[in-house]
Amino acid sequence: MGRVIRNYEEGDEITPLVKEMTQEAINLFEGSSGHSGPSQFTDEEAAKEVLGTEGTVASGRMSLTFAIEMLRRHFGPEVFNHTGTVDLRFLRPVRPGDTITFTGKVSGTSKEANGAKVSVDIEVTNQKGNTTGVGQGSAIVPNAFLPPEDL
Amino acid sequence: MAEVENKVELDWDALEVGETFEKFEYLLTQEMIDTYRKGVMDTEASFPTIAHKVDVRQYNDKYTDSGSVNARCAFHCYNPPRAGKKLTVTAWIADKYLRRGKNYIVTEAVSVDEDGKLIDRVITHELKQPSEVGKKWGG
Repeated sequence: MGRVIRNYEEGDEITPLVKEMTQEAINLFEGSSGHSGPSQFTDEEAAKEVLGTEGTVASGRMSLTFAIEMLRRHFGPEVFNHTGTVDLRFLRPVRPGDTITFTGKVSGTSKEANGAKVSVDIEVTNQKGNTTGVGQGSAIVPNAFLPPEDL
Repeated sequence: MAEVENKVELDWDALEVGETFEKFEYLLTQEMIDTYRKGVMDTEASFPTIAHKVDVRQYNDKYTDSGSVNARCAFHCYNPPRAGKKLTVTAWIADKYLRRGKNYIVTEAVSVDEDGKLIDRVITHELKQPSEVGKKWGG
């Protein structure tokens, strides 16, 4: 993939990312590390015992992963996979069957020694319009990826 | 702190910020990456390490408690890990705090591959009263 040169401005909207949460997806995520035992994420009884919920929930780390995907698509993997950060607070459980939408808006830019730091406010909402997570992300965009007039 | 089945029962007051756990090593396989990518529905997902929960793994190997809920998580990307590489994780207790009468523990971990390449950093705030989820959000 070629180097994408673009500028970043406060207020820029990030293209939203929508995910349909399923129990199968949760099981794959949890199983990818080699863990196969029951947990609050994969087993309803465990969820009831540990969390007191009637069903399983998705790990917050899945939402974290999706926020990372949204920002990777915005900044490009050449930038985000090397300088990206996401810091997400989990406000409500995400459950199988939920549709969650990730949105973001550039909240500011600042000069850094190795480029420009672009900060993004992130919000996650479910199909009911409830906020399930909020946070911030950032990437340091190297000067080589910025238009000359922004240097 | 009492010992239970080779684990130490958590004494939140006695837990020391800065406690660093034994290093943890694992081999990242292509199967792990593929399964992770299917789970997150993203064929380009670059950090399957997120699903390994390495920041709390060593804590959970040492301590026993009533479980936890992830309240906040921060992730720093440095270099996507590659299949077939052994990863070494250093994890420690970064912080602990009380908020609205609830106990939180903050763990932090850094992963490095066998070539010395920095992979990622993860910081997690865990609420140590997981039943609060059911109380607050019900069934």
